[in-house]
Amino acid sequence: MKITRRNFLKGSLATLFLAGSGIPVYSSTKTKKNLVVIMLRGGMDALCAVPVIGDKNFEKRRKQLILDDTIKLNSDFALHPVLEGFNELWKEKKGTIVHATNIPYTERSHFDGQNLMESGGKIPYKVKTGWLGRGMKAAGLKQEGLALALPMPLILRGVPKNNNYFPTKGKLPTDKVLSLLKDVYKEKSEDELIGMLEIIKSRPKERSYAADDLYSLANEAGTLMREPDGPRVAVFEVGGFDTHAAQGGVHGTHSDCLKDMDLIFATLKKRLKDEFDNTLIVTLTEFGRTIKQNSGLGTEHGYGSAIFMGGGLLKQSQVYTDWPGLKNKELFQGRDLNSTIDSRSVYASAMSTVFDIDFNTIKEKVFWGEDLQNLSDKLFKA
Amino acid sequence: MKNFFRKVAFGLKPKEKIPSDPLVWATSQITDEIPEFSFKGKIYSEEELRKHYREWVYQDRKVLRKKFKKDKMGYKAAKNLLRDNTGQKFWKNLEIAIRHKEATHGDHPVLAKLWYFWTNHFTISDKDMLADYSTGAYQRETIRANLNKTFEELAYEATIGWAMILHLDNMENVGPKSEDARAEWRKRKKRPATINENHARELLELHTVSPNSGYTQENITELALIMTGWAPDDKYHKTRLETADVKFQRKYHEPGKKIFWGNEFPKGKKGLKAAVNYLANHPSCREFIAYKLCRYLITDYPTKEMTDPIVKAWDKSGGHLPEVHKAAIEVAFKFNNQYQKFQNPENWWLQMSRMTDAKWPPKDERFDTYRLGGGPDPYQAKPSWFMEDMGHHPYLSKQPNGYSDLAEDWMSPELIIRRLIYARKGYINLKADNKNNEFFEKVVNQNFDNPDTIHNLLKQNDKTIDRHILLFNLPEVFRA
Repeated sequence: MKITRRNFLKGSLATLFLAGSGIPVYSSTKTKKNLVVIMLRGGMDALCAVPVIGDKNFEKRRKQLILDDTIKLNSDFALHPVLEGFNELWKEKKGTIVHATNIPYTERSHFDGQNLMESGGKIPYKVKTGWLGRGMKAAGLKQEGLALALPMPLILRGVPKNNNYFPTKGKLPTDKVLSLLKDVYKEKSEDELIGMLEIIKSRPKERSYAADDLYSLANEAGTLMREPDGPRVAVFEVGGFDTHAAQGGVHGTHSDCLKDMDLIFATLKKRLKDEFDNTLIVTLTEFGRTIKQNSGLGTEHGYGSAIFMGGGLLKQSQVYTDWPGLKNKELFQGRDLNSTIDSRSVYASAMSTVFDIDFNTIKEKVFWGEDLQNLSDKLFKA
Repeated sequence: MKNFFRKVAFGLKPKEKIPSDPLVWATSQITDEIPEFSFKGKIYSEEELRKHYREWVYQDRKVLRKKFKKDKMGYKAAKNLLRDNTGQKFWKNLEIAIRHKEATHGDHPVLAKLWYFWTNHFTISDKDMLADYSTGAYQRETIRANLNKTFEELAYEATIGWAMILHLDNMENVGPKSEDARAEWRKRKKRPATINENHARELLELHTVSPNSGYTQENITELALIMTGWAPDDKYHKTRLETADVKFQRKYHEPGKKIFWGNEFPKGKKGLKAAVNYLANHPSCREFIAYKLCRYLITDYPTKEMTDPIVKAWDKSGGHLPEVHKAAIEVAFKFNNQYQKFQNPENWWLQMSRMTDAKWPPKDERFDTYRLGGGPDPYQAKPSWFMEDMGHHPYLSKQPNGYSDLAEDWMSPELIIRRLIYARKGYINLKADNKNNEFFEKVVNQNFDNPDTIHNLLKQNDKTIDRHILLFNLPEVFRA
């Protein structure tokens, strides 16, 4: 690492000034814009996915986990070599990484952390809706969300009638049975079930086998989102990032998970075709991992991580960071990459851009007026 | 009142006598002796199944990968053969059949429902193919077999269980000042010994005191040090890899007395037992477990009025599980009419099967026909596939916190589609003599307090199959 935190910040700002302010304002544009969120469960190791170049503090703590053949992004950061799809986006100026960022949560529990990364709150399990669901509500979007998972993730809750897709084989009941059920649900004020039955009624009556791997799900999502009246929001999940042992380097468990994430980026780009230019993909994780490897060649729960973003709504390809450094005193509690950017600022700015809604409205209605930074002009096209 | 039979169990079979005292019916199933399994086919021990796992791991990792280094297709074919030779696709079906028979045909369905609670509490999630060989046996031998003991005993056995040690990486948890830390190879390979926090963290967060107790990162590290040394016996390491019995091994253990959460704990083997004792007797532990039991049986958001009697029974009995369970059942009975609990997919499926006396799981003897060297036949393969497709496979939870007990986590269009599709499959499982409208009258009369309303609704369908689908998708069936 040749730069200090101070001059890195200076460098970043210079770039940003060149692009102008670009503060988003409410727009009535009718262009359909899509937001895709990929949740990376288990704690994504940002120092494995986007390693810092030439930092001895890093290298000495990760002797067996240092990657060979990384893809150099700029003078300071490299990309994990399995992220080929993302690298293509980077080359096309459609890939951005926000580094050293996280939700404001430091307790290192997966489950509390995942609850907060989806709710956007600060106290685990207190908020029953997700930041994305509330953002959609603030933008007046209904029936626009699609989860590529069997359950409806918390992140999408808060706006009615979201849909999900996860294939199974079998036959749905007759319309008469569905109508009778709907009458019963109405009588018993089962509003949520009524909403779901309405969605189910529009599905094919007989479903034959379809694959449920990430590639197939991303293909389906891309096909649906490409349609003018298709969903505008999609949520994916990739699990398995919790590599306490045998994390691996270029090959291994962590890199397999990154490959899964990469597959979604690449497949969506291919399937969305021109609509990829009106799309923004962002990732989300509960925390990063310790800088130091353990003796099982894994890493422990940490704090700061990174956000991967792809799509034509990005301003440019960049590693956007307020780099905290990796010296002992710069680490969070002496063990973790610090977080210098509240990742909710990135998500709020993303929603402001994609949903064409004022940042402050998002800040107030989705994040309870908390002190978040509008990063729209730095990260996204106006 | 009749919903109580589904709330704490799986409803009543068509010919089952309606108990005159539901509470006695339920609590009498919680005994100090754990009953034998209802499944009468061959049941394999965890040790036997682990041998198959060992063969799979050893052959794949040490033999096949080497042998087919440059032959990808050859490797794939050999690996498939190894899968069949070790029964990889069969065991979990057999185990789910054993598990489900307790609910659908057993005489202790209340105990079965509680067993499922604890298997989810001490989850082995989908990791390292444990589900294919070991998780079902762990749930039988480590969880169910200890439900007549104290929580402390159950927690200790689960903690040192082979599956849990492997699942939460405690075999990688090595004391930085241990004998092994000074090993020459560590210097040569530049791999200093370190703790691995994973198991210690989950023992605190998920299994005993929960984050509400206020432990810190420092406490996690302290507990991890106490837990060093508990790993598969390394004397077999070369041939058995990580599949040997778990044993305390001093050479990996951090020496000296330990301070954990402000208290001193003994060094060596005794340390973990003392730590589990401390945790199991921590006030936050009983409150956490009581809350979770109420959430599983009664309502998503239990009140203090519900948890207090369970905590009291815990205090009085020293956490003796039969007493804790009885208290939970009594609370469920007390609040039966006020709260209806949303049933998760597995429990819903088992209620449908028991209430209709369906042919579920596939017959015991069918599983005895399985021979190593092949995959399960289509009937044998149903249990695992059905549960996975419903999104509720008891061995494939995505994370160590298990499946959610909240209704909202089981509500989505695709999950409701599963209920509609699987209600049809449930009908297909009915005995031929029961596929008629008169039978459904019996099922409804037996299990619902408002039979006439339901009869009138069902009568609007001519076909019996439609009546079946409708019945098992009614709100009063989703909840109990």
